[in-house]
Amino acid sequence: MAVGLRRTALWDLPVRLVHWSFVALIPALWWTAEYGKIDLHKKFGLIMLGLVVFRILWGFIGSDSARFDNFFRSPAVVVTYLRGLRSGGYVPSTGHNPLGGWSVIAMLGLLVAQVAIGLFTQDVDGIESGPLNFLVSYDTAEALRELHGVGFNLILLFVTIHIAAIVYYTVVKKDRIVPPMITGSRDFPEDIAAPRMAPLWRAIPLILFAIVLAWWIGKGAPTSLAQLNAEPAPSAEDYM
Amino acid sequence: MNRKSIAMLATALGLATVSVMAVAASPANTIAARQANFKVMGKSFKGIMDQMKAPAADFAVLKTNADALAKAAGKVHGFFPKGSGPEAGVKTHALPAIWQKPAEFKLALAKLADGTKAMQSAAKTNDIAQVKAAFPGVGGACKGCHDQFKAKD
Repeated sequence: MAVGLRRTALWDLPVRLVHWSFVALIPALWWTAEYGKIDLHKKFGLIMLGLVVFRILWGFIGSDSARFDNFFRSPAVVVTYLRGLRSGGYVPSTGHNPLGGWSVIAMLGLLVAQVAIGLFTQDVDGIESGPLNFLVSYDTAEALRELHGVGFNLILLFVTIHIAAIVYYTVVKKDRIVPPMITGSRDFPEDIAAPRMAPLWRAIPLILFAIVLAWWIGKGAPTSLAQLNAEPAPSAEDYM
Repeated sequence: MNRKSIAMLATALGLATVSVMAVAASPANTIAARQANFKVMGKSFKGIMDQMKAPAADFAVLKTNADALAKAAGKVHGFFPKGSGPEAGVKTHALPAIWQKPAEFKLALAKLADGTKAMQSAAKTNDIAQVKAAFPGVGGACKGCHDQFKAKD
């Protein structure tokens, strides 16, 4: 019996917005670092921090296709999935496939590490530094700058693998997986269990929390009102 | 020990001294010492910045760092003899402009001297507002000189 196709919501708006923000932000962060626009780099870095924090929280209360409990699949499930791909028995997932779930964990993990390192590190001449640089020694901050470079290379490697996987599904499996990440929905057989979508209002407190956290860390994580209201140390852009 | 061996020893010692001096003055050593001096400056600059961000500034730490910074700043000029630029074949971010525009370089160093001395005075006042007011003079001198005379990574 033939089963009809049905337009099904797959990726919710927060997931898509975060995803495409990464696509815009990662090159922007690279460019601002490469060309010494550190002031802008720090602003973008704090936006990245807010996005990553939001996305992690959304992984607990967001739509099914955004939730981490669907991402941690056993190696056996991943291997079965990969064998299925090779033998041609490919069925589009209603969310991340077993390997794709792990790739989200990896990407978010890399971004968390990279942002965290960035908060403490400093520029080559030590004039510009992350908002929490004052909490670590000069030598620690120097070592972290090396790590920040390594972290970027790992992110670059990850992005390359990610794009290769997209090309593989699009070309080899003839499954155009990019349009759903833009529109949010795609066709699935009618008899498939559609992912439960979270109401958008649920994202509002998480967004507010992420913004306040990024702003607070950007201020150097003050622990008292007096510190918050203190005359800020002049930033390097005011020097010239 | 006879006279001949004393003369030989003296010659050997003389040669050793000359060669040690030659090594000390080689571009590679100059560049290494220069970078060490800039590292001292970076550390003391951060030391000052950290106190400005701390809930309550430690003025003893501020003074130590301001003194170290001013002292190292006064040494910078001596670390840029001719031949210690990129042509030395050692990794350095020093741009040829340092030797091509000596007047501008001198002016940039004068700004650094002024800025770091003003910071020293500010640190002695035990008033964090004075330190913050003196800070752009230091940071501006660093940045102004780096923009003109230091290669980006």
